[in-house]
Amino acid sequence: MSDGVAKVLRFTHNSRIPGWDRAADLDKAPAVVPEPATTELPAELRAAIEDGVRRFPEGDSAFIPALYAVQQQYGWCSPEGIEQAAAVLGRTPAALSAVATFYDMFRMEPFGRKTVYVCTNISCSLCGADELLEALEQRLGDEPDVHLRGFECLGACDIAPMASVNGVYVGPIPLDEVDELSRQVVAGEDPLPARQLLRRPCADSKAAGE
Amino acid sequence: MPRPIEKLVKLTINGNDVQAPQGMMLSEAALKYGDVEIPVFCYDAKIGPPVGACRMCLVEIEGLGKLQAGCSVGVKDGMVVHTDTQQVKDAQKAVLDFLLINHPLDCPVCDKGGECPLQDNSFGYGDGLSKFVEPKRHFEKPLALSPLIAIDRERCILCYRCVRYSEEVSEDDQLVLEERGSNTYVTTFDGHPYVAPFSGNIIELCPVGALTSRPYRFRARPWEIEQAGSICTLCPAQCNISFSVRDEIVLRVLARDHKGVDDGWLCDKGRFAYQAIHVDQRVTEPLLRDGGELRPVTWELAIETTAKLLSHAGANTGALVGGETTNEEGVLLTHLMREALGSHDLDSRAGGSLDLELLRALSEPSLQASVPDLQYAHCVLLLDCEPVDDAPILDLRLRKGVRHHGVKLLIASSRPSALDRRASHSARFAPGCGAAFTAALDAELAGQPSDALAIAAGADPANLKALASELRDAGEDVVILWGERLTAGPRREQGARALLNLAARLELAGRDGAGLLEIPAGTNSRGLREVGVLPNASIGLGDAAASGRDAQAIGEALASGELTALILLHSDPLLDQPSSQLWQRALGKATSVIAHAAFLTPAVREHATVIFPAESYAEKEGTIVHPDSRLQRLRRAIARQGETRAEWALLAELAARIGNDPQVLTCSVLSARIFDAVPFYKGLSLDSIGGSGVRWTERDAAASFPSAPAAPFALDDAPAAASPNGLLRLGSFRSIWASPEVEASPALAFLHPRQRVEIAPVDAERLGIAQGESVTVASNGSSVTGLAEIRAAAQPGTVFLQSAIPEDSAALLEGPLVEVKRG
Amino acid sequence: MTDTLLFRGIDEPGLNTIDVYERRGGYKQLKQAFATPRDKLIAQLTESGLRGRGGAGFLMGTKASFIPHGNMQKYVVCNADESEPGTFKDRELIQKNPHQLIEGVIIAAYAIDASISYIYIRGEYDQQADILDAAIEEARQRGLLGENILGSGFNLQLELFRGAGAYICGEETGMLDSLEGKRGNPRLKPPFPANLGLFQGPTLINNVETLSTLPHIVELGAASYAAIGVKDSAGTKLVSVSGNVERPGNYEVELGTSSREIIYTMAGGPIDGRAIKCWFPGGSSVPVLTADDLDVSYDYDSIEAAGSMLASGAIIVVDETQSVVELAYKLAKFYAHESCGKCTPCREGTTWTLNMIERIKAGTATPMDLEIMASVQEQIIGNCLCPLGDAMAEPIGSLIAKFRPEFEAEIEANRAAREQQLVSEFASAEVAIEGVSG
Repeated sequence: MSDGVAKVLRFTHNSRIPGWDRAADLDKAPAVVPEPATTELPAELRAAIEDGVRRFPEGDSAFIPALYAVQQQYGWCSPEGIEQAAAVLGRTPAALSAVATFYDMFRMEPFGRKTVYVCTNISCSLCGADELLEALEQRLGDEPDVHLRGFECLGACDIAPMASVNGVYVGPIPLDEVDELSRQVVAGEDPLPARQLLRRPCADSKAAGE
Repeated sequence: MPRPIEKLVKLTINGNDVQAPQGMMLSEAALKYGDVEIPVFCYDAKIGPPVGACRMCLVEIEGLGKLQAGCSVGVKDGMVVHTDTQQVKDAQKAVLDFLLINHPLDCPVCDKGGECPLQDNSFGYGDGLSKFVEPKRHFEKPLALSPLIAIDRERCILCYRCVRYSEEVSEDDQLVLEERGSNTYVTTFDGHPYVAPFSGNIIELCPVGALTSRPYRFRARPWEIEQAGSICTLCPAQCNISFSVRDEIVLRVLARDHKGVDDGWLCDKGRFAYQAIHVDQRVTEPLLRDGGELRPVTWELAIETTAKLLSHAGANTGALVGGETTNEEGVLLTHLMREALGSHDLDSRAGGSLDLELLRALSEPSLQASVPDLQYAHCVLLLDCEPVDDAPILDLRLRKGVRHHGVKLLIASSRPSALDRRASHSARFAPGCGAAFTAALDAELAGQPSDALAIAAGADPANLKALASELRDAGEDVVILWGERLTAGPRREQGARALLNLAARLELAGRDGAGLLEIPAGTNSRGLREVGVLPNASIGLGDAAASGRDAQAIGEALASGELTALILLHSDPLLDQPSSQLWQRALGKATSVIAHAAFLTPAVREHATVIFPAESYAEKEGTIVHPDSRLQRLRRAIARQGETRAEWALLAELAARIGNDPQVLTCSVLSARIFDAVPFYKGLSLDSIGGSGVRWTERDAAASFPSAPAAPFALDDAPAAASPNGLLRLGSFRSIWASPEVEASPALAFLHPRQRVEIAPVDAERLGIAQGESVTVASNGSSVTGLAEIRAAAQPGTVFLQSAIPEDSAALLEGPLVEVKRG
Repeated sequence: MTDTLLFRGIDEPGLNTIDVYERRGGYKQLKQAFATPRDKLIAQLTESGLRGRGGAGFLMGTKASFIPHGNMQKYVVCNADESEPGTFKDRELIQKNPHQLIEGVIIAAYAIDASISYIYIRGEYDQQADILDAAIEEARQRGLLGENILGSGFNLQLELFRGAGAYICGEETGMLDSLEGKRGNPRLKPPFPANLGLFQGPTLINNVETLSTLPHIVELGAASYAAIGVKDSAGTKLVSVSGNVERPGNYEVELGTSSREIIYTMAGGPIDGRAIKCWFPGGSSVPVLTADDLDVSYDYDSIEAAGSMLASGAIIVVDETQSVVELAYKLAKFYAHESCGKCTPCREGTTWTLNMIERIKAGTATPMDLEIMASVQEQIIGNCLCPLGDAMAEPIGSLIAKFRPEFEAEIEANRAAREQQLVSEFASAEVAIEGVSG
């Protein structure tokens, strides 16, 4: 605020969210519903958003598909992309950003297109997920195009410790295969093919036999 | 949807029998009917249905295992409720314990201190001790959320009130929550400011000091201020307000929740334009033009000069009366004009006088809808009006009706409406063609051919048919909310007739919950007409002894020299009248112009001979009439500023000096005289009007309303709407922000409108105009400039400009067609 | 033990395609269902005793019977937002036998006369969503979705909706808000979704496993299905076993099987013959049980009698080498991260608990903090808008209650370690200062 922001020099404990310290920029215009006549967007993005509207015509159901489309287009939910989606949907960009920031899979800043989510929830951590994440961080932490993060339960505790590499579930990942996996991630190769979930039979022996 | 019928049920609260309306939320019922407070943070009935988020209101209900959120349980017959058991107390302490762990408790430097629900609830229901030993989180504070609102996120308890308001009440969807869990925070998109017509309401909603008013911040403590209830006179919505006064200075305006008027909300003009009361540029002493310069003079000299000038002009005096004039001032003005000066050339309407019979028919008590009817009707048809600009608070009422009561909203207008998104159907017609459109709609409803009429109105016949079909199927309780512009301008009488025909077709007369509701151009337009401030009516809408000139004719008579003097009572014809060109000529020619004004608006600054300081609405007493016929009372909140005197006293004094003393000693005597003289006000008193007003149409005396002719009325053939032919049809609108008070209020300076030229994408492309570039609009040798605003929703072939702004006003142009070009 | 139902032939190659599914008798039950009047079908479901497999264990048929009759738009929403830690059974069903689920959805929609249905799948299940999308498209092509299905006159649209990563969207009303394009905040109940659910219409919400069971109930008949399992826990249950066991994975068991048999015989028990310290019988949101409870029958009522809940049917085994503080930390971190923030006790209570456990780990906590932590759990339980707050407070409360000495010992050990570290830092600082001055 122009009339005297008090710089608080105490704790910044819990200040994990940059937005908490963000004032409005009073030189900006209010973010109303973007004018469709003057908001331009890539044709493929418009098509993707309109496809969501077609499949989910009721209420604002097309919001989440639209945000996926924006993330697909720009690599993240950029303000520009959100405004474009808002123009197509006839809603304010704030209505979209409120939704986007609620969900873990939408990113509000640019990030590497190659995602590696390492499950660090209970079952995986009982099986060494923290060590796996640490090992991956050592190898992939500085890769600009890789977005590596610990993630809450990915629903694959049967292959703990595991990771989702660009949506492909892989596990259990022994620490001695982290090098190979990291190399594959950077090179854009199929991650640890033998350890992919889709190739795993059901644990229940009764089910397998018939 | 008709109003819900209240059925009383019996329940027990803390062992006491309580009767309350079935289904009312327990926390509300307990307080209202059982005198038991169930503390809440997130719940406020006026925001909408409960969300049960804060958990402050947990109570025990016998038969249910867990504690229940009192804000969200509807009362039922036989319910047994306990709000004072140990389990409930523990839960209340737990919730406050949780809420306070990250609240900074910086009450000594918090604006909310002393009027803070968090303080009150902590005192009433908290433990007084906290087990929390971790460091609290701290952030930069306060931060600007908008030029008007500061946000302090440390203090926020995430009650959701403000964001629910933005989503569900004002529906501007600008203020939202981002992130999740304890990281959740209130914000706007990407650092944009929260600027919307009703943004200030979140300050009052916030139960802690997280959202504060920047203009009010640190100006006063709650125990140093007095609250003075009155009415906001800045627009016809006449919201009930409370001035926070400290040392005779208005520091703040709060809503004074009136379900029949404002529903507890204010627009930002009403909330912040009080600043105009205490600014240097306000006129607070009499001014006299002396050699072209305005200089301050004594009251005696000003009155003496005025009396001489008016006596000299005598019957050659005209008067324009602005909407902020009270009934009392209006009556004295008519006395001054008619009795003292012998002139009948006075008008409170712009755009030409309306046949008195039609005026009566439109004001007929059985045809008058109320503001709450907008919320409960089956269907509301907006006809040639834009609520957010014309009477802003009604915009929120309509949204509430659509959202919570299933009201079907239909819109017929020439400019895209802010409510289009909420409407079941919107139809457009050419600017100024409301009369033809209404006639077409009526014809279509009657099963008669409507295409030719629709085309004459510049409307799409198929679209009109769709609107008519929606209206036909909407149910019986239909309210037509119509703008005065429908009955102004050259086709005004046709507009009135067509509207009355439509009302008759829909059988609105005498039906509870249905009817007409006019949004007039001026705040007290309805009252001024009813007390006879018209060229063709006497007090009580009676027949005039003699007919005078209307505003348009006064301008023409001044320009031609037939009239020589002009009284401007809170009126600036260069802002309020449709043609600035005519009034430039008229004012230039007038020998003397006597103005009562608070600000040196263009006509006053350039042309007034004598200027009397006008009281602000915080200094004024008297009565005004709400558009839905509610008489409301203005009460003085502060001393008159500077040398300002009561205007009723001045008007009485002038009449006396000219030789016809109206014999009034106090304003309340005058009010009583009006209640006596207007047959349909008979029996009213200032006391009975009180703080919440009285709708005269609901009283028995309404039967004394002068009889009016009944529909159907014959209509002329409508002339075809101008065909653009390369030019564009000119439409104009008055923005909510176009007012001298907004201009004078420092906090609202950022909102003061600049001219913008609204055109459709096809026209922009044809004319080679890009968004935001400078554009000239010209007709008949005059032109205005503004920035291009390309809107997909704009009608092709039409350009819309703002009126009532000091520069580049649409009033400088003569329609119906204008030329638009770059540069 | 009965034969498997849901997992029958689960690993048969190509079962995810409609050809293989139909060859194995798929979509036959649908025809049979269409031939049954709606009220009879619902009565059958009720008689089968099938309880919702998502967590709450409410009788599926009863829930369906709550859906009002009338012409309003009704919905079926399948909850495939499987995000309860330790649970991964729906994933296997979707991935390997999607048509079984689709058939179940159609039967449920027919039963309540809904013409619009959605499957809400968690966004992380990208591969499974692709498989399911393809299966839905196949079903559409074969006329099993759309207008006049199999000549029955019944119409149904089915769309797959991908979530975007939020545990709370597994809560049924949070899921509805998310499906409506909002932040996935749970709603106040009542109104219940059966009356005012998706887009304010009557909505039947069921889990993947529940809906996948429907074709089997139609096939077997209500009585035969009800005969499987034990009293008030009919049928088979898919149990996801994970954590410290030899053979983690999904097992289809008859309800009433002993927990020990599931953990030891099927899943192999902890490695290297370690002892079990504690186990979660129904995902991470329920109170933990200990080795003493291993002989409890694995059914809804018995687990409840033992002081916990069967919930999603996910057993997480924690062996003796694990630290309960670390376990509590993982729990608190998860629930604090996943709390939607709408209601006060959950939003603040989960974060507060996390802060306290972080201090225990850092060696700055005292035994009093354990008391505070226990009381904070009590302040949460029963006071929240939805079950998420309790989902943290119940297991953490049970951990404190059952392993208090271990918490106290760890508080003391960490405190001592920190003191030792401070002393040595101080000492080395002194050395450095001496070094400078000398």
